[in-house]
Amino acid sequence: MSALPSYAFGTARFRASDLLRSILILPRNAVLAFLVAYRSVISPLYGDVCRYYPSCSAYAVGAVQQHGALWGAVLSAWRILRCNPWSKGGVDDVRPHAHFRYELTPHGFVVPARKD
Amino acid sequence: MGLDLLLASTPPADSGGGFDLLGIVLWPLKWAVELILVAWHWLLTVVGLPTASGVTWVLAIVGLVIVVRAAVFPLFVKQIKSQRKMMEIAPELKKVQEKYKGKRDQLSREAMSRETMALYKKHGTTPMSSCLPLLVQMPIFFALFSVLRDVGTHAKAGGGGVGMLTPELTKEFYDAKLLGTVSLHETLGDAWSGQNTPAIVLLVILVVLMIGSQFYTQLQIISKNLSPEAKTGQAYQMQKIMLYILPLGFIFSGVFFPLGVVVYWFVSNLWTMGQQFMVIREMPTPGSEAARAREERLARKGKAIAADGKVVPMAVYEAEQQRKLEEVERAKAETPKREQPMSKKRAKKKGSN
Repeated sequence: MSALPSYAFGTARFRASDLLRSILILPRNAVLAFLVAYRSVISPLYGDVCRYYPSCSAYAVGAVQQHGALWGAVLSAWRILRCNPWSKGGVDDVRPHAHFRYELTPHGFVVPARKD
Repeated sequence: MGLDLLLASTPPADSGGGFDLLGIVLWPLKWAVELILVAWHWLLTVVGLPTASGVTWVLAIVGLVIVVRAAVFPLFVKQIKSQRKMMEIAPELKKVQEKYKGKRDQLSREAMSRETMALYKKHGTTPMSSCLPLLVQMPIFFALFSVLRDVGTHAKAGGGGVGMLTPELTKEFYDAKLLGTVSLHETLGDAWSGQNTPAIVLLVILVVLMIGSQFYTQLQIISKNLSPEAKTGQAYQMQKIMLYILPLGFIFSGVFFPLGVVVYWFVSNLWTMGQQFMVIREMPTPGSEAARAREERLARKGKAIAADGKVVPMAVYEAEQQRKLEEVERAKAETPKREQPMSKKRAKKKGSN
């Protein structure tokens, strides 16, 4: 499992008072939960196979955080297609969302930004 | 490959009505699987094997493994060649590793990964096999699984497969038996409820062999073909744990696999084992235990590995080492000796003497 890039986690924490505002980002957090499980249980079985940094699964984490469950999934699928035996690999980061309005937890989940 | 089987063992959803996306995606693959099976079956009957025998159909499945694995073999060779090229960038790689030696925090690891990947890209070589093939194997396996499953339902309904598997061949496949009583579509669960002892024995033996071969291959990789750097990572610990947990999952799924699929998996594992054995023996990861063993083996035969990764006689190797040593010494001798700086005062003093 390759390490998450530093832009894919933060220091924010989920607060119960933000529950209502979190509904909008529930889909991407659900996908992120799946990715966290995949990265800790299934990824290690394959060992290091990805030709890129961040690895395909780490890229998916960043893409879903920044662009949401749907567009993030599309970006991730495109990345996996690019990670084929004929590709050169290298460093390939997720393009951050132009107006990213949320904050990240240490495990990479998305929470609403605090105004203070 | 093993993981795909585990995922495939989840009971397939009933495709009665509605939009069947999986069916549409799998259709061409199923068609190809049927074509290969029927082609092998035809070839085997031409050679003289009985057409309705279980052995013939088992051999056709073995043939399917050969075709599928041979098709992806060029990728394997490509990766091995790339590994050879890795030797050339070893010094630069080592520099990066030295730089981050002992730094275990996330930021250092990120920076190290970035630099390593950039280095691979710069030299157009990488030891990584890439992610897409892992995902591509899964549908192929799904296709085989559903072809074998459909044989049962289609034979009962008197129909055929999606392509070359005609109703007659489907019926024949369905009725084909090993040892007189064991059908290829029989699972361990079926055999148990049918009190079919030969089937139970055969399936248990195959499932044990299948898990054993999988375990052995992984063990060989982990214990012999990892570099010391790879053995320090967190992923290594996880791999070691999974080595023992995964077989338990396969025991569970082995109960639900029809004999045909178990045969496919087992033969496929044998192929992987052979490939891995070859790699560990002839092209081990530099720095691993297997690489040391190979060097010792070569030394006993009076040979050694030159800087470019080729095997050369010991004399040539020693001559190369000697030449390198001389080069270093010559370079040392040629560089002008550094003169001790002298203060103006002392220089004057010396000059006046």
